[in-house]
Amino acid sequence: MIRYVGARLLHAVGIVFLVATITFVLLQLAPGDPLTRVAESTLISRDVIEQQRRNFGLDRPVVVQYGLYLGNLVRGDLGYSFREHRPAWHAIRDRIGNTVLLAAAGLTIMFALGIAAGAWQGAHPGSRGDTAISVLTLTVYSTPVFWLGVVFVLVFAEGLQWLPATGATDPVTYGQLSALGRAWDRLTHLALPAITLGLAGAATTARFQRAAMLDVVSQDYIRTARAKGLPERAVLVRHALRTALLPTVTLFGLAFPVLLSGTVLVETVFSWPGMGKLTVDAIEARDYAVVTGTAILAAILVVVGNLLADVLYHLVDPRTREASVA
Amino acid sequence: MPPVAQSDVARSIVDLVFLKLADIGPQLNTVDTASYVPKLASSWTFEDPRTLVFTLNTQARWHDGMPVTAADVVFSFAVYRDTLVASPARPRLSRIDSVTARDASTVAFHFAKQYPEQLFDAVYHLWIIPEHLLDTVPRTAFVSHPFGRAPIGSGPYRFANWVAGQSLELQGDPDFVGGRPGIRRVIWRFAGSPDAALSQLLSGEADLFRYLTPEAQQQVEEDEDLTRVPYLSSTIYNYMVFNLRRADDVNRPHPLFADVRLRRAITMGVDREAIVRAVDGPAGATAGGPLSPAYWISGDDHVQLPFDSAGARRALGELGWHDSDGDGILDRSGTMLSFGITLPVTSTQRRRMAIIAQEQLRRLGIDVRLVEVDFGTFLEQADAGAFDVLFGSYGGDPSPSAIAEVWSEAAIGGYNYGRYANPAFDRAVTHAIDATDLASARAFWAEALGIINEDAAAIWLSASVPLAGVHRRLQNVTIRGDNATATLPEWTVPTAAMITRDQAAP
Repeated sequence: MIRYVGARLLHAVGIVFLVATITFVLLQLAPGDPLTRVAESTLISRDVIEQQRRNFGLDRPVVVQYGLYLGNLVRGDLGYSFREHRPAWHAIRDRIGNTVLLAAAGLTIMFALGIAAGAWQGAHPGSRGDTAISVLTLTVYSTPVFWLGVVFVLVFAEGLQWLPATGATDPVTYGQLSALGRAWDRLTHLALPAITLGLAGAATTARFQRAAMLDVVSQDYIRTARAKGLPERAVLVRHALRTALLPTVTLFGLAFPVLLSGTVLVETVFSWPGMGKLTVDAIEARDYAVVTGTAILAAILVVVGNLLADVLYHLVDPRTREASVA
Repeated sequence: MPPVAQSDVARSIVDLVFLKLADIGPQLNTVDTASYVPKLASSWTFEDPRTLVFTLNTQARWHDGMPVTAADVVFSFAVYRDTLVASPARPRLSRIDSVTARDASTVAFHFAKQYPEQLFDAVYHLWIIPEHLLDTVPRTAFVSHPFGRAPIGSGPYRFANWVAGQSLELQGDPDFVGGRPGIRRVIWRFAGSPDAALSQLLSGEADLFRYLTPEAQQQVEEDEDLTRVPYLSSTIYNYMVFNLRRADDVNRPHPLFADVRLRRAITMGVDREAIVRAVDGPAGATAGGPLSPAYWISGDDHVQLPFDSAGARRALGELGWHDSDGDGILDRSGTMLSFGITLPVTSTQRRRMAIIAQEQLRRLGIDVRLVEVDFGTFLEQADAGAFDVLFGSYGGDPSPSAIAEVWSEAAIGGYNYGRYANPAFDRAVTHAIDATDLASARAFWAEALGIINEDAAAIWLSASVPLAGVHRRLQNVTIRGDNATATLPEWTVPTAAMITRDQAAP
């Protein structure tokens, strides 16, 4: 197991290098540079922009810039953010916690809701409830996540004014709140983006879970468990669901990159100050260091997510554990 | 950091934390010296036509308690003028030869020559920064120095905190020389998009949204807690500029637009007022040339070629453009009258205007393609001259001298994207900028604008004054055209109208 994890980590280094290089090349190919973003306004004259280019080293040949970039990367320096006027790592560091929080909340909703709905459907196939949930999940599955977010803002923030529309905290009152008040403030700000992010994933999970559950409940050992007189709840939860969870666990690994790309849209709609919004802003501003930094970090998170999924699968499936021991 | 602040938001925040010697009046009239408002300087006088002497308010203090002195002004000017700092304001200070301190509270600006905008040049771009905190900072490091993230100024608001990507808070300075501001805390909330920002206003989380689209104006009108406040002026105009050079080779004339007669015909075929009213709303205003409403000459009688579709059709016929094959598109010697309008996909206003112009020109038999590109590509194509017609927007200085930076021959390779060149226009602009008295400046500007309008270098469209969305409980709100929060220290909230967030202690 340790050797396997080690090999995967080594593999990850190669992936990160590739991502860093591809992102750098793509940014160089894209029109403009960090200083042209503001240049439609004539407030800034061309010779001033040229001086700013020299100050930031953007006038050097691309190969030299690439060499410096890789050299800095090896030393753990992601570079300088032109947009935020500080090291790119500081910009990313300030946002990563928010993205992890949002992704974790979204993941929790995605799996909790998806597994519960799918398992119930699998246990009651063909019922009215099964049909209703299938229609609902298909509808949510087909709905673009940003549209769902906009509708939630219109209904729950602008219309009913139950929940805040944007941000991670209320900057006006947050500093004066007690610990409990701060937690509540964070929770209310997290609610809409997390539900938006989680719902779309929950629809997928529910469809997976329903199919897996249907597959398992027709197995002989389930019939045997029922024949032994076990209560139906115990049969479904302890025997059927446990086995039916295996395909869903594999979904965890796949869900991570999808969830990360989902956060880009959700963070933009809700102005959630996370890595997704940071990346979108940085791409618009051609803020090279931040774009490459977030791309590298996303690559690392995806690799780690997949690794975690493999380890989880290994832990929940006794057959893979036994094979490993043998 | 004031010398290197570039974005509108950065400049708005800087303007509350730092002071200039004096500030322009609410109408942004650069030559009306009586309208200027004292800030760090309590008074000023022209010692001779080329020497402007300011007397500083001796009560003025930096937020760390140190006095603001003439040495700070001299230091600030030196920083702004240093090429290594790369301050956007540096070219604007080029007509000031030097700044010298006479004593701790008297400072003299020495100009190369006399002209109507001397006071404007001395004060408008120059926020005074503290020498005692910044004199050791290398000039190339101003843009990245930590002072920029926790600045100490002498303005009505002190910097409080900045949560990256979320918010920035300023707190009213109780010791401010002009008195503590009526609103004690000001918080900028950074939204992901204009829609997200509007949501904050509509959901009651924010009190001010700077630019309302026509749709947003309607939403704000329907909200009983909100009101629309028109700007006092505006520094913005937009335009569709003809490329006088080929899109694939700037050294050769454009096959269509090198001919002034065709440019004039197309200009006359576009109903600019209808376009502006349709997009900006009934209060929309059409530019009378390359003029923002803030220019002190904008009230003069400057007009573009009139809208005259019959005249346009006749002129096109005289140029040999006829629909010979009956396909609805004019052609000449086997070539269709067809071109593209390049615009940034991010600008809803420009997109809507371009669509209406496209339809108006289609009725004349002109085939127009809309080339919508992302902002980086838009600027790259503008710089390279790789377009037929470019839908640009100007938003900068309230001084008409900025006209030279966009439309003069010297600006080719810079912001004169269409490569328009007419020595008579350039001469008139130079005379207008250098004129020693207002009357002759006004006459030269009229001559220059007459020339460029007759040359139809571009079709100038919107010069509308925008509307801001504001919570009704805010009183005494005025919105200046160059900076939406310039007058914020004068805004108040009556005690009876306060809501929960007004009572949150700093």
